[in-house]
Amino acid sequence: MACSLPLSITSESPAPGATTSVVSADDELLAQLRQGSELAFRTLVTRYQDRIYRTAFSLLRSAEEAEDVAQEVFVEVYQTVGQFRGAAALSTWLYRLATSRALQHLRRRSAKKRFAYFTSLLGFDNRLLHDPPDHAHPHALLESQQGLHLLLAHIGRLPSQQQVAFTLRYEQELSYEEIAAVLDTTTAAVESLLFRARQTLRRHLQSPARHV
Amino acid sequence: MSKPTLRPGSDEEWEALLQQLRQVPPTQPRPFFYTRVRARLAAQESAARSSWPGRLRRPAYVALLGLLGLAMSGDGVVLPPAAPHPASPANRPLAH
Repeated sequence: MACSLPLSITSESPAPGATTSVVSADDELLAQLRQGSELAFRTLVTRYQDRIYRTAFSLLRSAEEAEDVAQEVFVEVYQTVGQFRGAAALSTWLYRLATSRALQHLRRRSAKKRFAYFTSLLGFDNRLLHDPPDHAHPHALLESQQGLHLLLAHIGRLPSQQQVAFTLRYEQELSYEEIAAVLDTTTAAVESLLFRARQTLRRHLQSPARHV
Repeated sequence: MSKPTLRPGSDEEWEALLQQLRQVPPTQPRPFFYTRVRARLAAQESAARSSWPGRLRRPAYVALLGLLGLAMSGDGVVLPPAAPHPASPANRPLAH
């Protein structure tokens, strides 16, 4: 199908001042997608693949699963764009799909892990499948890489809403308003989620006895 | 001289840790991501098309199933009603 609009292909995040033009470009892209334009779909994927992949990766910490989630997101967009009413921005919709899919993967992963742990306890499998406790000395935090590693591990243990809010804020650098739109909540609720996440993380990272 | 303890208890250390988190090199999907998305879409569409069993898409099986359905659908369509037996006592003319 011919596409009359100049659909620029870039995967870079927009500059902060360019929000209005980005929204306008996304609206045009959305209109083209609804008409079934292949070029529009390619543009969408190219424009958002890095952000969606990084969001999934931040939550899953697995390249393979992040790739899977990112693919699922774009496939779903292609298949359901006709039903998308445009109540939220295109980017919000994509982030929402990415975070919810990533959380689904996390739930599946922890269910598998619980099952594997259970079977290992029953002696069906001789492998040690649960996470061994980390008996690192408290001074290990002096090593910055280890500090970051611990932070990432504890982010992964936050309640899902806090985890998503924290990841979108500190890794994807979304604004409070954008996070509120993704989570379908208020800015005040996002502030509260982030406050609690920070409190929890700081408490765990200060604690000398850690089990990661 | 020993280094100061780097615990994120202090605001400075916490901010430094968050800064480190922001500076983690961004990850990217492997090259040809779009091609893989298209392949996945094609695979899903193909799977949706072939959701009927293969046999049902063959005309001979469809015809056979149709005939079977017709044969089992009712007794009044294919076979004529049974004629009354002349030897039956109920069918004999009454003697006056």
